[in-house]
Parts: sequence; structure tokens; C-alpha cells
Amino acid sequence: MTDTSTSIRMSAGTRIYLYVSLSLVAALVLVPLVATALGGFKSLGELRVNPFGLPREWHWSNYLDILFGDRYWRQMVNSLFIAVMTVFLTVVASAMAAFTLAHVKFFGANQLLNYFLIGLMFPAATAILPLFIRIRDLGLLDTYWGVILPQVAFGLGMSILLFRNYFRNLPEELFQAAFVDGCGYIRFFWHISLPLSRPIIATVSIISFVNSWNSYIVPLIMLNSETKYPWPLGIMVYRGEFGTQWQLVLAFITLTILPTIIVFFLAQKHIIAGLTAGAVKG
Amino acid sequence: MASVELNDIRKNYGTLEVIHGVSLTIEDGEFIALVGPSGCGKSTLLRMIAGLEEITDGEVMIAGKVVNPLTPRERNIAMVFQSYALYPHMTVAENMGFNLKLSGIAKPEIERRVSEAARMLALTDLLDRKPSQLSGGQRQRVAMGRAIVRDPAVFLFDEPLSNLDAKLRVQMRTEIKSLHQKVGTTSIYVTHDQIEAMTLADRIVVLNQGNIEQVGTPLELYRQPANLFVAGFIGSPAMNILDGIVDADNGQPAVRLGDGSAIRIAPQRKVRPGQPVKIGLRPEHFAPTGAGSIVSGRTLLVEPTGAQTHVLFEFAGSHVTAVVDGDHPARHGAHFEAVADGEKVYVFDGSTGVAL
Repeated sequence: MTDTSTSIRMSAGTRIYLYVSLSLVAALVLVPLVATALGGFKSLGELRVNPFGLPREWHWSNYLDILFGDRYWRQMVNSLFIAVMTVFLTVVASAMAAFTLAHVKFFGANQLLNYFLIGLMFPAATAILPLFIRIRDLGLLDTYWGVILPQVAFGLGMSILLFRNYFRNLPEELFQAAFVDGCGYIRFFWHISLPLSRPIIATVSIISFVNSWNSYIVPLIMLNSETKYPWPLGIMVYRGEFGTQWQLVLAFITLTILPTIIVFFLAQKHIIAGLTAGAVKG
Repeated sequence: MASVELNDIRKNYGTLEVIHGVSLTIEDGEFIALVGPSGCGKSTLLRMIAGLEEITDGEVMIAGKVVNPLTPRERNIAMVFQSYALYPHMTVAENMGFNLKLSGIAKPEIERRVSEAARMLALTDLLDRKPSQLSGGQRQRVAMGRAIVRDPAVFLFDEPLSNLDAKLRVQMRTEIKSLHQKVGTTSIYVTHDQIEAMTLADRIVVLNQGNIEQVGTPLELYRQPANLFVAGFIGSPAMNILDGIVDADNGQPAVRLGDGSAIRIAPQRKVRPGQPVKIGLRPEHFAPTGAGSIVSGRTLLVEPTGAQTHVLFEFAGSHVTAVVDGDHPARHGAHFEAVADGEKVYVFDGSTGVAL
């Protein structure tokens, strides 16, 4: 009886089916990750004959060389700087735009929103040539901003959509109460809307952080000097003229996706529902 | 504290006019209730006074100053909302002190005023809680505390008790009344519940479809309703309304009903014979015996409430409710008889509904 209060009681068959299918899905994600991590410990020759198993001989030097070389750290710092600035600008710009679109009625608000949403339909790759020309004209080629600004622009559509829906669901009377208390739109945004928006800020941040962290095409086009490369470009270094050092590529990838995984788990905690509980009788 | 004056207030939504020229003077320190059925414009009127709704035409004056272009804050009003509208991420103390903080008042002063208001509302132990940890009644008190701390010129209440259960509503009603007696701030209270309006207000404004039907003290509205609408709205159970024609009964002025029975009316009513009228009989004005016209019929429904019993019976082709003593032996299907005192029979014009 205690089970029924928390969840529907399952038969043994359903349970087995559930575990098997969930294991399959988990394996789909985990096997490549584990293979990548283990591959980093192998030699190139062993990688060819034994791509998935445990390494016969553990080559710690693959990882250690990367960790103690300055290229890895420089690229991590580059990636981090680009990602953090992208997240910051995306959150700030889209939250403000979404707030305006959600709360202020003005002529053309819907058209403006649609204009932003059209952006959802174009991946950066399709616009890469005009983007390159524009960034060149702005004199931002081979700078961090040449990567950050386009990434923010392409992230805005989705972020505004998420923020706007969230803001619109905040109770109307909350805004009126704040207005009576002496808030204008700007103070309401800072003192009331944003503190209540932690879950949606976390969501938008994760999305734009991961997108920026894994972004390849924009930095590839915009950046020329190796010192400014984020990590996805850094992998190219291990591709020689006559062969690729796959074991180093795998070790490098393992080390670079670690931060995203950590960030994801940290931010995940903040996605808590029910933050508005108690504002109004629900 | 301040007086409030409304001069020919109008509100249009596009071409639709929802408030048709309302004028009203509210004295300093007065407690005014705006009542009316849903959609009568009472909340809209309140929000126009608050500054949350634009005023299409007319003037709102607070303390003798036209406030039309001012924000709610500049009008120095405080409002209590139906849904409380507390800030969920702030503690009770922060909720109450928020507007003081916005106006840049020093921290010790904020704390002093918040704790004073908390003491008045018995919230002192709850100051560190979040709204989600409070019960409905406590949240409502916090919402009132938020209004008190800033010492506004006018309190505005927008159906503040509608979300509470019946028992708590009665309790909070008393608290609002005693609070008003303590602080004496001019208050405007919107409700659809006429009992709330009667018990709380110094004067009641009855609104219907964007017009004021009548303004008066609770007892004035009960005893001398200006028209059929007010007569039907004030009083519970509602007044019985019957159609008839003015006639004479043994030389006394009376109203002849559809089935031929006559109900005597007071001689001072300004009616002429043959005039079609509607008469109003308050359920609680039926007496078991005494002088007056006898009203009788088959009992359709008996609702005991303890001290009193409501009896619904058939009379002159209509259903009439009477409130009788709880010991009355009324029974379903039995014959019911009562006396209507002519002095207490209301007469309204048959077409305009104006009291005669």
C-alpha cells in the first residue's frame, strides 16, 4: 500500500523491461564516453586493434603530457572565456528583451518577437559567409568578440522564447503589488522577476554554455591565431600531415568535456520547480 | 490620511464604456465599501483610484489634489490584493519593508516600522518565514502589514477575503475592522459579499453596470433602498419581489397581486390607483401574528439554520421566502401563514424600479 502513494505499482515484467531499456539508452551515451576515456590511455597501435577494451598497457603519459603542456590550459581558458561571456550576454540580453516582450504592450511587439523567433530556424553554418564578411567589416576577425557576438545572436531566439514564457506566467498581481510599492519596470525586473527566475536562468545558461563550449564552425572561421583557439580547434593540432595521433585526440577530448559535465551537474541543482509557491493561492 | 473625491469618472475599453460617470466623495478616515455583482465595475473603479488603470475621463482627487497622472506610489496609496501578491522570494519582514527600502529609508527605521506593524498584526514570530510557509490567513495579514508600514493616505482592498474559508473570513473581517479603528486611515474596500460590506463599512456604494445605484450607511441601504436593484442586493436572504397594481383594500391603500390577494402598504407611499408596481417583502419582516395582510401558501422548502428557519412557500404565483423562528413547526407540503406589516412593505415603480 505504501508504494501506491508515491508511484503506480509495477509488475516484475514491467520492471525488467524498464531496466533493460533504460540500460540500453544509458549504454548508448556511456559507451562512447568510456571508450574515449580509455582510448586516451592506449598507444596508437593498440587503438587500431582494440578500440573498446581495457588498455593492455596504461599510457599515463598521453594525459600527463596534455595536462602539463600549456596548450591545453590556454585553450581551456579561451573556451571558458568565450563560453562565460556568451552565457552572460545571452542571459542579460534575452532576459531583458523577453521581459519587455512579456510585460510591455507596444506597437509591433509581436512582429519583433516573430523576428527573433525566425532566428531559431537558421543554424550558424548557413549564415557563415555573410557573418564572416560582417565580422571582418567590424574589424573583429581573430578576436574573442568575433566568436562571442555571433554565438549570442544565434542563441537569442531560443533564450527569449524560454524567458518570455516564464515571465508571462508570473502572476499579474505580483507586478501590480510591486507597482503600488513603488517599482517601475526596471526595479520590478531586478527585484522581483530575476530572483524568481533562477530555474529559467539556469536552463538558458546550460544551453548556451554547452553550445558555446562545443562550438566548432564559428571559431574555425573567425579565429586565425592558435593562441586564441578554443579546444575544438585545438584537436586539429594532433592531425599531422601523414597521420592523426588518435590516442592524444581522445585524451584531449576526455579532458575537455569534463568541465561541461561538472558545470551541468552544478547548475542542475538550481533547476528547482515551485519557486513561486506561496505568491498566490494555488 | 486623506479624503478621496471622484468627479465624473469614466472608463472606456475601446468603444465600450464600462464606468459611466461616477462621482463620489469619501471623507477623511471613512471606511467605504464598493459592492455590486460581478462585472459591475467595482474592481475597475478601485484600480483607477489606485493608479493601476488609466482613467478615460474625469478626475480622481486625493487630499484635494488631482492625482490622475501620478503613479500609485506618488498617490501614496496601499493596496491589498485578493491573491495577496506577496513576493515569494522575500521573507515576511522583507515583504513588509520592501516599499520602504525602495524609498531609501534607513534600515533601523524600516525595522522599527516593520516590527511595529508586525506587533499590531501578531506577525512578530513569523517575520523570518517565507510566504510559502504561511497559512492563508497569515499571508493575508502580511499583505495588510505591507500596506500599513508605509502609512499611506488611503488603503485599497480588492476582495481581500475571497480566497479564505468561511470561518477565517469572519475572523479576518473583525481584524480589518479593528485595524481600521486603530489606524483610522481612509479605506476603500471592494467586495461582492454584502455581509462583508454591511459589517465593515461606514458607508456602502452599490454599483451596477458602471453606475452608482445608491450610497448610504448600511442601515440606510437596508431600510430605504433607492430602487429595486439595491433592495434585491442588500439583505440576506434576498427580498421577495412581487408584481401588482395599486388598489384600495377596505379604504386602505393596498397592492392587488396577480391572484387577486391584496397586500396593504403604508399610506405615505406616493402611489396612484391603477399604477403598476412591484412590492418588496423582506423575508425577516414576516410576523407570525399581528396587524397587516395575511400571506399564506403551501410550503415548498424548509431550511433550518439553527436560531432561525427559512421557509420557501408558494404565494400569488411566486416563490416567497420567509425567515421564522427556529421553533416554528414548518413542514414540507404543509400550509404556511404569516403577516406582512404594511409599514414594512416596500413599493417600487413597475417600470423604472425606483422606490416610491
